[in-house]
Amino acid sequence: MKGASVGRFVERAIITFSWLAGAILLTVICAVTGYLCFKGLKTMSPALIFGSTDPMSALLLRQRVFDGLFPAMAGTLLLVLMSVGWAIPIGTAAGIYLAEYAGGGTKKIFNLLFDLLAGLPSIVIGLFGFSLTLFLNRHVSKELHPCLLLSSIALAFLILPYIIRTTQIALENLPVQNRLTGLAMGATRLQNLFHVLLPQALAGMVSGVLLAIGRCAEDTAVIMLTGVVASAGVPRSILSHYEALPFYIFYISSQYADQQELATGYGAAILLLFICLFLFAVAFVIKKNLPCQVFSQR
Amino acid sequence: MQPLTQPFIPSSVKIRVSNLSFSYNGREILRDTSLEFPEHAITAIVGPSGSGKSTFLMTLNRLWEELPQCTMGGRVEILLNGIQQNIYAPDCGVEALRRRVGMVFQMPNPLPMSIFKNVAFPLQLAGEKDKNVIRRRVEETLQDVGLWDDVKDRLAGSALSLSGGQQQRMCMARAMILRPEILLLDEPASALDQKAAEAIEQLLVRWKQNCTILIVSHYLDQVKRIADSVVELQGGQLRNRQVATPRV
Repeated sequence: MKGASVGRFVERAIITFSWLAGAILLTVICAVTGYLCFKGLKTMSPALIFGSTDPMSALLLRQRVFDGLFPAMAGTLLLVLMSVGWAIPIGTAAGIYLAEYAGGGTKKIFNLLFDLLAGLPSIVIGLFGFSLTLFLNRHVSKELHPCLLLSSIALAFLILPYIIRTTQIALENLPVQNRLTGLAMGATRLQNLFHVLLPQALAGMVSGVLLAIGRCAEDTAVIMLTGVVASAGVPRSILSHYEALPFYIFYISSQYADQQELATGYGAAILLLFICLFLFAVAFVIKKNLPCQVFSQR
Repeated sequence: MQPLTQPFIPSSVKIRVSNLSFSYNGREILRDTSLEFPEHAITAIVGPSGSGKSTFLMTLNRLWEELPQCTMGGRVEILLNGIQQNIYAPDCGVEALRRRVGMVFQMPNPLPMSIFKNVAFPLQLAGEKDKNVIRRRVEETLQDVGLWDDVKDRLAGSALSLSGGQQQRMCMARAMILRPEILLLDEPASALDQKAAEAIEQLLVRWKQNCTILIVSHYLDQVKRIADSVVELQGGQLRNRQVATPRV
């Protein structure tokens, strides 16, 4: 009897603790976004983004924006798209290799290496990007200096582990039955992969891309060492300097002149959140539509 | 119930299994066993759960090769296109083999695509490009399994929206669309109600004119109704068993 009541108590305690954990998480999210909105919402206006420039001519790149966040937004968006663009093909291919083709020993070694890569602090990846820039500058072309391209490559290394892991896990978690379905019909392993396994694993794989997008959008350490600057305008090419929202937030918060300037930092944080939300939404739409459109025939 | 079986005339040997051994994860499932299976007949494979009946089916289309930690010894010869072939010979293409030896699993396993695409899938995997041919064959096959009238207006709808019995019949259509010479069925009716199970039994009896059928079954009454011969798998050995019901 006593044992049963202790068991009930433990069960109730675990349930309460789980509820509390969920509640804490929700409170923190609400507190952070609420605080951001409280501090930054009053700065939200076209002027925050475009400054004194006419929005239309800024969007069409006819006029440069000096006192708004438009260049930083453009920089962040380009950076995220390019980094994810590098990382998706490589990460997906590596994940597929690990899940479908790698044998015992190789798989163990690769798993260890990717875990190490996932554990690298972003400042170390930044240093790698910086050294890469120096190396390229010295040995390839004097024209190469810290720029959008090199930042995006360095960031791609930062997010590769997420994409590799989620691809691998999504494929490995498919039930054996699904794996055998196509093969039993005479599909080759490649046909089975493209027509049966990948469409079913896609939902899981997209969640890795979502994580990667968030990680790219927020990272400051890597880009600080590889090409972001406080004022550069909208990047003219992938080989030029650029601005980015997280760096702007860092820069403002560390050396703001007055309260007004600090408020634009909060405004920038809200914009960054919105850019992430927008990219997440795009990824979700793709996740919903991709399986039936890309992989299955006709 | 009347046995559905038509008069059974033993004919030539379709599958010859010699000295077959199989182990999975270090556990021995088949031990040096040999048996022959007749052509154009329904052979039921019975035995206690976990005795390796499903695994045995997978040695006939080499599907076990896709599972980790399996080892096999011995020889499997199948009469394909009138020629006796060792299916484990290096020159025997495994995809071509699986197109000649179809398989239906215990649980209906529709792919997450439309009904039409599901049934047409093996044809397309085999390289059939002609849309008219594909459409005709899909219709023929769905008619054959008695599903055409139910689904002809929603071929583009998801296969997952079909009922369990319909899904299993669709899977059988999918397995039959390449007109295989052998059909392996792993308890195809165990997840279905009696009516759906009977529909499948009738199909099998009809198909054996053109096809050699091996069916793993737990249900003795089902075995009695449709099987021409019964093989028992026990202790790693395949043995012919007498069918209790007299043939009509």
